[in-house]
Amino acid sequence: MMNVYLSIFTKLESLTVPPVWHTVLRICLPILAIVIVFRSARSLLGFRREPEVWAWLRLGADQLIPVTHWENVLGRKRTADIVLDFATVSKNHAVLTRRDDGGWTITDIGAKGRVEVNGNRVLNGSVSYGDVINLGGLEMRLEPVSKEEARLQSGARTKAGKGHSPGLTLVLLTLLQALLVFSFVINDAGPLARIFTSFAILAGVEWAFFIAQKLIHRSGFEVETIAFFLMSFGLAVAASSDPANLYKQLVSMGLGMVIFLIVGLCLRDLETAAKLRRVAAIAGVVLLAANLALGSRVNGSQNWIYLGGFSFQPSELVKVCFVLAGASTMDRIVTRRNLLLFVLYTAFIGACLVVMNDFGTATIFFLGFLAIALLRSSSYPSVALILAGVGMAAVMVVTVILAVKYFPYVRNRFAGYGHIWAYMNDKGYQQANSLICIASGGLFGLGAGCGWLKNVAAADTDLVFAFVCEEWGLLMAGTMIIALGALGLFVVRSAKVARSSFYTIGATAAISILLGQAILNFFGTVDFLPLTGVTFPFVSSGGSSMMCCWGLLAFIKACDTRQNASFAVKLSQKEAEKA
Amino acid sequence: MKNIASRTAMALLLAGLLLFGLLTFFIRYFIFSDDWFSHSHSSDGLSVERVLDRGGKVLYAPKSDQTYSKNAAVRRATVHLVGDTKGYIDPLMLRQYLPELAGFDKINGTYGMQSGTGVVELTVESSIQTVALQALGSRKGTVGVYNYRTGEILCAVTSPTFDPCDPPVVEDGDSRWDGLYLHRFFSAAYTPGSIFKLVTTAAALETIPDILDQHFTCTGSIKVNGEVIRCQGGKAHGEQTVKEALANSCNCAFAQIAQEVGPSVLQRKAEQIGVTQSLFVDGYRTRAGSFDLTGADKNRVAWAGIGQDVDLVNPCQYMTYMGAIASGGRAALPYLVRRVSSNGEERYRAEPQRSQIMITRDAAEVLTEFMHNNVVRMYAPVNFSDVKVCAKSGTAEVAGSNPTSTFAGFLDSEKYPLAFVVVVEEGGSGAASPVAAAVLRACINVMYAESK
Repeated sequence: MMNVYLSIFTKLESLTVPPVWHTVLRICLPILAIVIVFRSARSLLGFRREPEVWAWLRLGADQLIPVTHWENVLGRKRTADIVLDFATVSKNHAVLTRRDDGGWTITDIGAKGRVEVNGNRVLNGSVSYGDVINLGGLEMRLEPVSKEEARLQSGARTKAGKGHSPGLTLVLLTLLQALLVFSFVINDAGPLARIFTSFAILAGVEWAFFIAQKLIHRSGFEVETIAFFLMSFGLAVAASSDPANLYKQLVSMGLGMVIFLIVGLCLRDLETAAKLRRVAAIAGVVLLAANLALGSRVNGSQNWIYLGGFSFQPSELVKVCFVLAGASTMDRIVTRRNLLLFVLYTAFIGACLVVMNDFGTATIFFLGFLAIALLRSSSYPSVALILAGVGMAAVMVVTVILAVKYFPYVRNRFAGYGHIWAYMNDKGYQQANSLICIASGGLFGLGAGCGWLKNVAAADTDLVFAFVCEEWGLLMAGTMIIALGALGLFVVRSAKVARSSFYTIGATAAISILLGQAILNFFGTVDFLPLTGVTFPFVSSGGSSMMCCWGLLAFIKACDTRQNASFAVKLSQKEAEKA
Repeated sequence: MKNIASRTAMALLLAGLLLFGLLTFFIRYFIFSDDWFSHSHSSDGLSVERVLDRGGKVLYAPKSDQTYSKNAAVRRATVHLVGDTKGYIDPLMLRQYLPELAGFDKINGTYGMQSGTGVVELTVESSIQTVALQALGSRKGTVGVYNYRTGEILCAVTSPTFDPCDPPVVEDGDSRWDGLYLHRFFSAAYTPGSIFKLVTTAAALETIPDILDQHFTCTGSIKVNGEVIRCQGGKAHGEQTVKEALANSCNCAFAQIAQEVGPSVLQRKAEQIGVTQSLFVDGYRTRAGSFDLTGADKNRVAWAGIGQDVDLVNPCQYMTYMGAIASGGRAALPYLVRRVSSNGEERYRAEPQRSQIMITRDAAEVLTEFMHNNVVRMYAPVNFSDVKVCAKSGTAEVAGSNPTSTFAGFLDSEKYPLAFVVVVEEGGSGAASPVAAAVLRACINVMYAESK
């Protein structure tokens, strides 16, 4: 059986393909890629996003205030979600939170006046419909949304993937993968059997994913489609540059998806997720400590651990822990609980990266931190966070200065920056050759396996944009970036209507890290910035970075509150019944 | 929540930056990609199959058994133009045509192109090159001749040079090989000496209305700002017109003319001629000269007008000025590559481009007459009976060694519209004009044969 399978490829290798097929392939590939990205982006960015009313607050006899978020700050301040302009109400008085089960909780966030429910003082307790809430003497009653209203709103909600058929997009993606394999066949590049098998497994896994989600009545598959789309590029790059390690790359993709599922399922339940924060934080510390103790220095950065033939970069996985540790629910944000711990945590990571001399990762963490700090300081001017931000920036500047001073490889990167042609034989070698190869690939590429860039160090990781440009063309490489950009815009839209600030923060930090990596990687390759050795999400070869990307993607998935969109979001009672 | 939601703009900012970066890169790709590609690996012979001289003789064929010309003299005279397989010399002018040679285009990149099918036709003639190198002998220096109507460079020789089939072992500090890998004609800048008086004279003709009626007295030396400026050998030239002063190359007279012109006009003239700027010869940027009279006292202005002070000129650029005088104001810009083809298909053909206006038509006419007078009176070697030669010699003092001999001019001829510059380092007074004579004669012979 195996022999028959392999003999097919032996025959394929000796196959001569008429030149017209080359032309057809060169044109079809980018068109298909553009269509896939366009379909996914349209579906991700086209959903309706109107404020929905989850409950009402009745003040006095005739004033009804809509409750439009799952987490609502009640207070006198203009930035509160429900502004109560009464002298006795504090600026930020209480947080009213909708639970997963549809019930409500109210939390006193350190107001001068008390928070009472039905006359009893409450620091953090349940509120039922009909209960009277008393904020510093101001009384209001929590009232439910009428069935009619709920029905109307539910009807207005955009069901994920509605009208955009994610299944069809996936068919197109599979076609794209087939064409990528075909591009290896007609150029007779590499071990065809191995390449075909790898792509077949990838396609199989993506369809299994899709069908499994259909079975649990989730129809939003665009986020995963983008990841699979990018991974197809990654697999093609690996097939061209290092076919011997194709299966290893597949395994890390698989591990990444496992992490995606685990993190996603953890995030389903807000209370579980919030509890996991501490575990994540500790895991991060342990990983970094292990790195410092066992790490080996590669290219001047001590960020690799070798264990029994496998190597991985713990700092990649710490990113996932970091985002989880940094996410926070509204009541915590407003009361500043655990803030100091988070700042210390960040400082610890910063310090470890300084010791490891990993400038690129430090920048990425800084972006993630910036996102978290920005969001967490929003309802309370949190001096500590801002100070920590400044401190971390200062640490980074010091790192750069020290690294440039003491580590020749870093110095070289910076010396070549902006003058790559003058230094094209030494310091600017990687970027100069990237640009040369991008030019020689043109818009449609030279064909799979026909590139030269693979001879340059780190072509399949740091320079992966140029790699794709050379072999499949600038148009194809451009779609990778547009796909990630679309994912970024989607998060901006969906994070605003997330169930909890926990998800908003998580998703924003996660996408900031992914976009930051793409920016540093792409800008570094094309000499807009110095090369920092940061990977391109889902495309660059490397197991740890692949797992990190999938882990971060789970946060984005958990933030997708479109109707029936995400396995990381529980269906509402009624939807579940209907299903 | 409302407040937090607005802060998600951070992700918007990053997504925007990423997409903006992509857009910027696309634009840059369409502007610069052939530039990027032109840096492609020189080791594979620039995708060149053959480099030919203007007569079609093969100078360089990196993919064949006979890599260079069989004639050692030709190899030595052309190695700086075609490069060598060992990578000592990067043929910068050819490199500019790498995109054409490799069949590069912005849509398809190099897709479908076979490597090593590019043919480059140069404008130089190998026989003239060897004559020029022979005339320079063992002396360092450079010779350049071009057609000021079309821009074709017929001769561009630099010395010292070497045989690419037998490259010398160069030890650090061995002065015999100073600048061995440099083409002095394009990439060096020299103190011009008296040939710079052609710039001062042009400035005077254009800005002093009665300059032709003035007389300048020379007693062999003149004191300017307390310092003495001498004529060569301390010779007293007596009372002279500008024309006579130029023929005598009288330093005393030119010290006075430079004062009368004034530093700002002189500076402007030098800049207008392009002394301080680079030329682009087939896209290769020549070394820029320098001329800076900011804050200069009278003595320095006098020296600058004579061509000493801190003036530096690039030979190729100065040759273009000669062409501009010959053609009444603006010359064709020099180029070295006439035609490039790849896969048998023509991908580039040079077209004449004109320089900026360097001198007014009236001044150019008067200067032409003056320069012809120089030749008749002073430069017997180039005083050809059949062609009207116009020129000016110079002797540039260089601290600590024999002076550099310079010679620049043109043929005032419809049939042989040639401008030239010769520099002989440490040549001493008058060393450059015999070199020019030999090379010009060779050029005329080649052009005559071509016109047949």
